[in-house]
Amino acid sequence: MPDIVLSNVQKSYGGGSPNAVSDLDLHIHDGEFMCLLGPSGCGKTTTLRMIAGLENLTDGEIHVGERVIDSPARGAFVGPEKRGMGLVFQSYALWPHLTIERNTDFGLRLRKVPKAEREARVEKVMKALDIEKYRHRYPSQLSGGQQQRVALARMLAVNPGVLLLDEPLSNLDARLRLEMRAELKRIHAEFRTTIVFVTHDQWEAMTLATSIAVMSEGRLQQLGTPNDIYDRPANRFVAEFVGSPPINILEAATTHALDRAASHWLAGRLGESAGVGSVGFRPEALQIARSEAAVPGGSFRHAAEVTGILPTGGSWIIELKVDGRALFATTTESPALRGGERVWVHVRPTAVHVFDAAGLRLAEADDVLARAA
Amino acid sequence: MASSDALLTPAPVGGARWRYRLRLALREPTTVIAILMAALFAYLIVLPILSILADAATVQFGDERRTGGGTGGFTSYYLYRAFVSPVAYDLFWEPLLNTLKVAFGAITISLAVGGVLAWLIARTDMFGRRWFATALIVPYMLPAWTFALAWNTLFKNRTVGGQPGWFEAIGLTPPDWLAYGQVPITIILALHYTPFVILLFGSALRRFDSQLEDSARILGASGWVVAAQVILPLMRPALLSAVLLIFAKCLGEFGVPYVLGLPVKFDVLATSLYRSIGSRQTGVAGVLAGAIMLIGVLAIMVDAYLAREARRFVTVGSKGSMNRLSRLKGLRWPATGFAGVVFMLSVGMPLLTLALSTVMHQPGSFALSNFTLDYWIGQDLPTVAMRTGILFSPDLWQAAFNTITIVGIASICSGILGVLTGYVVVRTTIRPLAIFLRQVTFMPYLVPGIAFAAAYLSLFAVQRGPIPGLYGTTLILVLALMADQMPYASRAGISAMMQLGKDPEEAAQIVGAGWFRRMTSIVIPIQKGSLVTGILLPFISGIKGLSLFVILAVPATDVLTTFSLRLVDYNYTQAANAVVLIIAGLAYGGTVLAQRLTRTNLAEGLGT
Ligand SMILES: Nc1ncnc2c1ncn2[C@@H]1O[C@H](COP(=O)(O)OP(=O)(O)OP(=O)(O)O)[C@@H](O)[C@H]1O
Ligand SMILES: [Mg+2]
Repeated sequence: MPDIVLSNVQKSYGGGSPNAVSDLDLHIHDGEFMCLLGPSGCGKTTTLRMIAGLENLTDGEIHVGERVIDSPARGAFVGPEKRGMGLVFQSYALWPHLTIERNTDFGLRLRKVPKAEREARVEKVMKALDIEKYRHRYPSQLSGGQQQRVALARMLAVNPGVLLLDEPLSNLDARLRLEMRAELKRIHAEFRTTIVFVTHDQWEAMTLATSIAVMSEGRLQQLGTPNDIYDRPANRFVAEFVGSPPINILEAATTHALDRAASHWLAGRLGESAGVGSVGFRPEALQIARSEAAVPGGSFRHAAEVTGILPTGGSWIIELKVDGRALFATTTESPALRGGERVWVHVRPTAVHVFDAAGLRLAEADDVLARAA
Repeated sequence: MASSDALLTPAPVGGARWRYRLRLALREPTTVIAILMAALFAYLIVLPILSILADAATVQFGDERRTGGGTGGFTSYYLYRAFVSPVAYDLFWEPLLNTLKVAFGAITISLAVGGVLAWLIARTDMFGRRWFATALIVPYMLPAWTFALAWNTLFKNRTVGGQPGWFEAIGLTPPDWLAYGQVPITIILALHYTPFVILLFGSALRRFDSQLEDSARILGASGWVVAAQVILPLMRPALLSAVLLIFAKCLGEFGVPYVLGLPVKFDVLATSLYRSIGSRQTGVAGVLAGAIMLIGVLAIMVDAYLAREARRFVTVGSKGSMNRLSRLKGLRWPATGFAGVVFMLSVGMPLLTLALSTVMHQPGSFALSNFTLDYWIGQDLPTVAMRTGILFSPDLWQAAFNTITIVGIASICSGILGVLTGYVVVRTTIRPLAIFLRQVTFMPYLVPGIAFAAAYLSLFAVQRGPIPGLYGTTLILVLALMADQMPYASRAGISAMMQLGKDPEEAAQIVGAGWFRRMTSIVIPIQKGSLVTGILLPFISGIKGLSLFVILAVPATDVLTTFSLRLVDYNYTQAANAVVLIIAGLAYGGTVLAQRLTRTNLAEGLGT
């Protein structure tokens, strides 16, 4: 399927509520595995449903290749049944009165695909998803994970140009989730479909996607590869939303000792008038030294007190405090620290994210800090 | 992206947005169907009601001299006549008073009897609780005036002609007050609505958490204090709801007061309205129908208001909910006896009386020679009009055929319209349309059947525009019954569609199914069960319905109920009783069958 392009899309559900989606520009390349990531209510489902045609636009335009599929300004709208897409609902929405086999071949029968071809196709899809043994059962006789796979099979059977998935894994237990993630990756490789995947689980997005679109309050915050999103968050929202435990943020404008120290440290490198609003560094970038002497030169540093050590199985979260302000660090090596111990925390310049007063990433700072390292 | 822009279809032109909206609205037939249905219901529900209200305030044909205005002009004459004039007492005030007397009497008795029975069934170790739980509901499955005929068969005295009742026949003349009027009507309505109380109270009691009771006990409250200060207040919503629903139903009750009130001129609002229509006082009939509607609307509105208030304290039935049975100990047998007596009075005796009466020549004589099957299957009988047993009477089969076709068609239509209403209400993107449909289909619920029938008569009796007069046709019965059933049908349809949600249908849309395909392959098959229920339940309640038909049916379009009423009028007691038994059998069998088929509980279908 050609690329799907959303330009300046607006969606309002009316009734005076704020737009569910605003000014959305999104380019979904052929063969991509894109994740829409964002907190609850940020417009992910709405975006997906607009692509599928189940929701119409208030303004803007969606086209697939050269074909306009939705554009109020041009008076164009292509119905969902003619878009040749697949959508897996969060609720699965299997047809309760049809067997698994009839659920799967429904779309093929609609298209009047010859019997032999239809059966071969259904066989292939059911085999790929490991549901052939349930073919004569009804949806109510399957477990959640099995239903989930039927919902996928039903869409894959018609060989859609793009597969839209709305939080398909959120109802599964942890183990099944892991299995289905692997399954999805395999399907993506095997069927070569474009996949747009909605989730509010950042872990899921990081492991699955070739690109991630982070949304908040109906607006696109950043579009990039998982590494981009994690290592170069475009703004504070993305920085704070992605990562667990969350990124440590220091505000430039307060009088807290730690914030003052950070401002001072930055001013020494960027100059006083750089317009720094806040500074962030991820917990794994926050390193701990027993004495200031052990801190490498050039790193940002501050004295701190260890307040807690939480093992999370294979890694540890270290809680620290500076004058009542909490900081998090993570480490994969067993920390030889005790609660109450006084230590030095430090961060390499390249691991520091700098944001301006509006919360946008200060790109110039990246260069300066990289050179300083 | 920029490069493909150039290739895109027509550049934006003025009015494109309107084109877009129109295209979206018309892309699927949902909106068009919604508009058509809104028009249909406006015509079948709103217009008749407006028409009869208009009758009340405009000069009717033939009344020009009395009202001093031309036909069709405005007049307050009918209002004056019904509410103020010297005949107002007979026309309105006395019937109103009688209606209230009967309704409140029936409410008091059925609450007392039904409340005790509900408690015995739900919360005690009375013998045979399960059996009574079903058996005591039976009266509600039978038409109320079955009991009126049974009463007549027993207590009819020499005040009226025709065959006397059993007591009269053996020389014990019952006084008029026992044979006719307020007393028997009250008792019969009370017995008929007792199941209603049992069901409503029973379910409230079952949901009631014993722990609430226990906490009061632990704090030292005695059994009576618990009953008065904990149980009763918590049961009040169910109590009030039962009171108002029974009141609304008594308001429209026609059959019982017609059979038992007529001989002593005991009129209620429903019979007074019937009389006005019978004597062609269209204007007054409009006023009376309007008054009945107004009272009905008020009752339902109060009920809705109270229900909303009651929702504030639905703590009843919490998580740790438990339901312990009270031990009756020494009262176990007396309690069971009480339930048994109520069953005998409300089911056993009336049905037995009716059944026996149909196989006896002379009332009250139990000599073997007095028994006969002639009234069922006899030939060449010496009576004037009924020359054969009822089963060989072509009139019965014609009436049965009419019943099945009229009620059947109406139920099927309302069932389908109900599902469609549910569909478009839930799916249309035009909210005002959805709201209108939801409300207009609910309207008949507020209007007692007899007033609704009067409204139909007012609109459809004569030719209006291209629509010919429909009085005397089957069509008017079908339409009226269908409209009357819409509240239940559309509620069932809407809740079924809400439960289904949009997802299954949208999933079909995504894989390429168009509207009709989705209806036939997804929506209707999934909703099959609720469609069957939505047709069966109204069908059963339609079979025993009387008040709607009695105004709109003529001999040629008689259904079983009006046919038996005509037999009563002609004093063919045995034949009338036989027909009523047939109706009762159909209604009971149908209810049981419907419960089997749909695996629903009777309590849920009770509203109809
Ligand atoms: N049918 C609707 N009518 C009105 N408002 C709606 C409707 N659907 C969604 N919204 C609103 O639009 C906004 C975006 O909703 P959406 O369902 O797209 O969020 P989401 O990102 O999918 O959230 P979640 O992660 O909880 O599924 C929300 O504020 C929601 O309340
Ligand atoms: Mg969502």
